Amino acid sequence: MSLDNLRDLYQQVILERYKKPRNRGKTDPVDRYQKGHNPSCGDTIELTLKFNEAGDRIDDVKFEGEGCAISMASADLMAEALRGRSPAEALEMVQKFQAMMRGEAEFPQEFRKLNVMQGVAQFPVRIKCANLSWHTLKAALELAQDAPEFVSNE
Amino acid sequence: MTFTQARTLAAQVRADFPILHQEIHGKPLVYLDNAATSQKPRVVLDALQEYYQSYNSNVHRGVHTLSAKATDAYEAARDKVAAFVNAAAREEIIYTRNASEAINLVAYAWGMNTLQPGDEIILTVMEHHSNLIPWQFVAQKTGAVLKFVELTKTQELDLDHFTSLLSDKTKLVAVVHVSNTLGCINPVEEMIALAHRYGAKVLVDACQSVPHMPIDVQAMDCDWLIASGHKMCAPTGIGFLYGKLNLLRAMPPFLGGGEMIADVFLDHSTYADVPHKFEAGTPAIAEAIGLGAAVDYLNGIGMDAIHAYEQELTTYLFQQLAQLPEVQTYGPRPNSRADNRAALASFTTGSVHPHDLSTILDQAGIAIRAGHHCTQPLHRYLGAQSTARASLYFYNTRDEIDTFIAALKEAIDFFGSIFG
Repeated sequence: MSLDNLRDLYQQVILERYKKPRNRGKTDPVDRYQKGHNPSCGDTIELTLKFNEAGDRIDDVKFEGEGCAISMASADLMAEALRGRSPAEALEMVQKFQAMMRGEAEFPQEFRKLNVMQGVAQFPVRIKCANLSWHTLKAALELAQDAPEFVSNE
Repeated sequence: MTFTQARTLAAQVRADFPILHQEIHGKPLVYLDNAATSQKPRVVLDALQEYYQSYNSNVHRGVHTLSAKATDAYEAARDKVAAFVNAAAREEIIYTRNASEAINLVAYAWGMNTLQPGDEIILTVMEHHSNLIPWQFVAQKTGAVLKFVELTKTQELDLDHFTSLLSDKTKLVAVVHVSNTLGCINPVEEMIALAHRYGAKVLVDACQSVPHMPIDVQAMDCDWLIASGHKMCAPTGIGFLYGKLNLLRAMPPFLGGGEMIADVFLDHSTYADVPHKFEAGTPAIAEAIGLGAAVDYLNGIGMDAIHAYEQELTTYLFQQLAQLPEVQTYGPRPNSRADNRAALASFTTGSVHPHDLSTILDQAGIAIRAGHHCTQPLHRYLGAQSTARASLYFYNTRDEIDTFIAALKEAIDFFGSIFG
């Protein structure tokens, strides 16, 4: 088995976050709530956000869901990286993450933990797994009036 | 048949499948996704090439030589399919694009025009989406009610529950013959006999049985039976519907267009007799001829031999999976003759999600399916978000099962090693 390739994809951090996520649950209170899914594989996520009193910073992010190691670890790392960010900054991070999945960018030092997901770019069929939580975050922040109950990442 | 002889069967046929002889990520391909689609033998590929290179022409239209030759080959393939499932008449075989289209044909042409509010359609919780969603359409439009047969503790069809659902309200039973997820072989003959006592019609989704075992529609006494070509060594884009002749004749057309007419006026038309009444437009000519070649190929090996060999593979597959305590399989365990289930195993492991597993096995050259296999309601019923599935065909070998099991064990160890 090509374990080297697999170790690029399933870095220790990813497996640890999958087994022992730090940000599972629901925020209190729930200021934003959004469900997302990948219909073809069945992965689902329920994302909750809590803002600060002024409403201009993300205080806390939590997720519930079921999915593979890539989608769940990505959600857990995302939740952590978002704390203290403004919605505009968070939306920029969504762009950056999606660019990273295309192999076009990586995060600066401040967010270097997110760069462990870079290996996914080498596995095109799995990119949608890593993107699921970010795609759901975008819908949560943009608060589209006509958003479906689940946003689909496909 | 002993396993030594059986190994010879796979060894004999593997050379017929060009695609099997390649490496994926530097490892020999082990193709275990046959319930999704089968590979194609050279004779089928040759039939496609020959059609396009030497007699490509439209069917049932021209009087020129090539058109006559194409029509003959297209209709000869129908004869082959009819004989393959022992239909009473060649007109009982309707070509469709795939199994979904075949079921939609029955749903629209028969279901929408026949069923009344309160009529009942009995399905099972293990149906593929293709044998569920068309009936949801019918129920929504006609007011018919869907009922679902549940499973026994061994995750097989609960025949007692089925019997309890039958009543004078039952107008249709639509049931999968072999579950693509559980692998169980449903007692369709018994179900059909029971349903007919109430005057209900029965449609059998035979996508996972026709490629793997002898099928006799007259002995089964089903009213309709559907299968897809691409799961039985034929190209994609071709499937078929078998229907009892009197039923097909009584059904109005499904799609309107060329080919399906007798006489056309500006404001009305009369239709061709079956089977052409249901084959509107230029059909998948090459694919139908390819299906005929696939039937010839399978007959050359013998469906009894294929079934017997797959039973031995099933026994071996489950014996080997049982060596891995972390693996949970779904559906019935094979009995001593393994004649109660198909040669596929849907499973989960405690630690590795099916999608991660599929990626890891792919790195070892092994193709399996991960997800809900188009049986999402069944997965919900089983309490599994998704499963991994290894599904075999007659060209798979015991050695390939060994390779799969070793890689599966390695994947479980790899995920476990982080916390080991």
